[in-house]
Amino acid sequence: MKPLDWRSYPGRLARFWRTSLQFRTVAITVILSGLAVLIIGSYIAISIGNNLFASRSTQVQDQARTAHNLAQDIFASADPAGGQGPPVELDSLAGTVRDRLLPASASAEGTTFAIMRTPGQQTLQSMQPISTTDFPQQAVSEALRNSVTADPTHVQYQSVRLSDGAPAIVVGSQVQVPDAGNYELYLVYPLSDSQGTLNFVTQTLLLGGLALVLLIGAVTYIVVRLVVGPIRLAAETSERLAAGQLEQRIPERGEDVIATLARSFNGMADSLQRQITKLAELSRLQQRFVSDVSHELRTPLTTIRLAGDVLYDQREQFAPSTARTAELLHTQVQRFEVLLADLLEVSRYDAGAVELELEPTNLVRLVEDAVDSMQPLAEERGSEFRVVAPGGYFEAEVDARRIRRILRNLLGNAIEHGEGKPIVVMVDSNESAVALSVRDYGIGMTSAEISHVFDRFWRADPSRQRTIGGTGLGLAISLEDAILHDGWLEVWSDLGNGTCFRLTLPRDHALPIVSSPLELPPDDSIPIEGIDHA
Amino acid sequence: MTARILVVDDDTALAEMIGIVLRSEGFEPFFCGDGSEALAAFHASKPDLVLLDLMLPGKDGIEVCAEIRTESGVPIIMLTAKSDATDVVRGLESGADDYVVKPFNPKELVARIRTRLRPTPTGSTNVLQVGDLQLDVAGHEVTRGTAKINLTPLEFELLLALALKPQQVFTREMLLEQVWGYHYKADTRLVNVHVQRLRAKVEEDPDNPRIVMTVRGVGYRAGASG
Repeated sequence: MKPLDWRSYPGRLARFWRTSLQFRTVAITVILSGLAVLIIGSYIAISIGNNLFASRSTQVQDQARTAHNLAQDIFASADPAGGQGPPVELDSLAGTVRDRLLPASASAEGTTFAIMRTPGQQTLQSMQPISTTDFPQQAVSEALRNSVTADPTHVQYQSVRLSDGAPAIVVGSQVQVPDAGNYELYLVYPLSDSQGTLNFVTQTLLLGGLALVLLIGAVTYIVVRLVVGPIRLAAETSERLAAGQLEQRIPERGEDVIATLARSFNGMADSLQRQITKLAELSRLQQRFVSDVSHELRTPLTTIRLAGDVLYDQREQFAPSTARTAELLHTQVQRFEVLLADLLEVSRYDAGAVELELEPTNLVRLVEDAVDSMQPLAEERGSEFRVVAPGGYFEAEVDARRIRRILRNLLGNAIEHGEGKPIVVMVDSNESAVALSVRDYGIGMTSAEISHVFDRFWRADPSRQRTIGGTGLGLAISLEDAILHDGWLEVWSDLGNGTCFRLTLPRDHALPIVSSPLELPPDDSIPIEGIDHA
Repeated sequence: MTARILVVDDDTALAEMIGIVLRSEGFEPFFCGDGSEALAAFHASKPDLVLLDLMLPGKDGIEVCAEIRTESGVPIIMLTAKSDATDVVRGLESGADDYVVKPFNPKELVARIRTRLRPTPTGSTNVLQVGDLQLDVAGHEVTRGTAKINLTPLEFELLLALALKPQQVFTREMLLEQVWGYHYKADTRLVNVHVQRLRAKVEEDPDNPRIVMTVRGVGYRAGASG
């Protein structure tokens, strides 16, 4: 297996996001519920933490007060005379206080205490500072000492972080030691127990939240699957239906909204199938009719044609009026024949009974052939063909017979309306398309006339004499032929400056045309001999 | 000797008119208006060429064509009212040599008939070798070893055209001109269908031809002799 490039992951993810409704829905749900769980969890954790701290803090302050009173009482009772008696034995007093405080303040969490001398005092004697062995000296901040000195009547406390990172509360108060002045009692209560509880609660919340988010994600996935599944099925079915498999249906189960979707979809499919079958039947009848008419008309027409031609070949032996009759019969039978062929072709298009016979064709060769075959007619009218083919790749998958027919039509029109001026036929190609244009410099058309140019039986100027026996269906058929090739047949015309038809065909029948290699309106800057572009 | 032509068409007016045209061109026409009697008429008149309408009462023209082909290689030209692809191809596949689409003019019809009746052009050599086949040009016979292969005159002519110039690649247009006598763009399906029919007879494995080789995008040529 090919190893995946990690750089393609964001792109893949974005693509997956765009294409999968299921993924998108689950992702959004998980992200949003995760966010909600996070906010709620944090709130719970914070308030539990605060509560724990507050209750512990109250407790600690009570304990500290008790310890303070105890210490103060001991100190006070050591000097009943209030400084008037003999000097107090401070060393033994310190030992007593230490021994009495130790059990009173001891707790599971390892409370420690210290009695320090308030600095800046002149007294008779001084007591050595007392402290338990592991008292964290650095936990007593300068700020706390200051506030104890400033407000000696109350117990001061501060929450600190010990050197090992555990939270603790330091409580400070002032005690009067006889003969030695003011001392400060500090008790440090580590909060590791409360912290442990808080950690446990947070961990539980985290795990619970994660489980909840996963559960929500899974539930969403299942729900979306339940909903998206039928929609996907409907989408696939409608695609198959569109592709022509008219008997495709969605299974209808239950009474819910999905079942309603299935039912209405199937109803639509039924009606579609009915309509299409009906149309197909009509089209088949039409084709059948056309084919029958074609056969029925063609046989007598063949007899008439043979008879007319036999008479026509012998017209020299007839009296002049009979000879002329034979001539008229001959030409009009021909006209009738062309008209019939065109009509049948149009009705075949209307019935949708036309198929292309594609083969790789060289458009330039085709143009040259068509120009050669129209040459006599052009010479008769004094027009001259100029074929401009800049070179390149002119092979294209086309139905040569139809393209030849389009060309003959365009050339015929150009000769008829070109007023004897040169007719320029251009052929060019690009990556997506091949194109040819037929440009005459004749009378041209008004914009109103241009809009009718592809209409059946429409003629630019009914009063003008028809010299080339067109049926009036030529351009309509040409347009159908072009459309059948997935190509374009377009017209540009300017009254007095001539007309240009441009046919653009896809090089490959499966790929759409991007742009036409030839310009329309035609590029008149290319010099053409005998044409004045002024 | 005047060529005898059997016209199988149920439209009496058209048949009569074709008769007039044929007589004026020096042919001797015979008529038959029913598909089921066509074979009997064929036996009775022993024609040199058959003009066969595709839509006939009694029996379909395509069936008639196939029946005649089982016992004779006489040239058959279909008269068809439909230029639609399927009918023409079915007709050609059942053995018709050529077709004219109604409405046709007398010159066109006569030109088609004359092409099919003209003698096969013979080269300087009498026996040609294509692949493992021997072509007896004068005797119109094709043999593989000792086994004789029955070809219609058209099929023989097609094979001969290729065999006479073994080095040359023939485009379908060239074959249309040389074998069918078309001097303008005509239906290349004529060539395709007849090459298939010819291959079915002369190739040992028609899917892997050694006698009539396809040159992709160009046309056909004869297989190397040896």
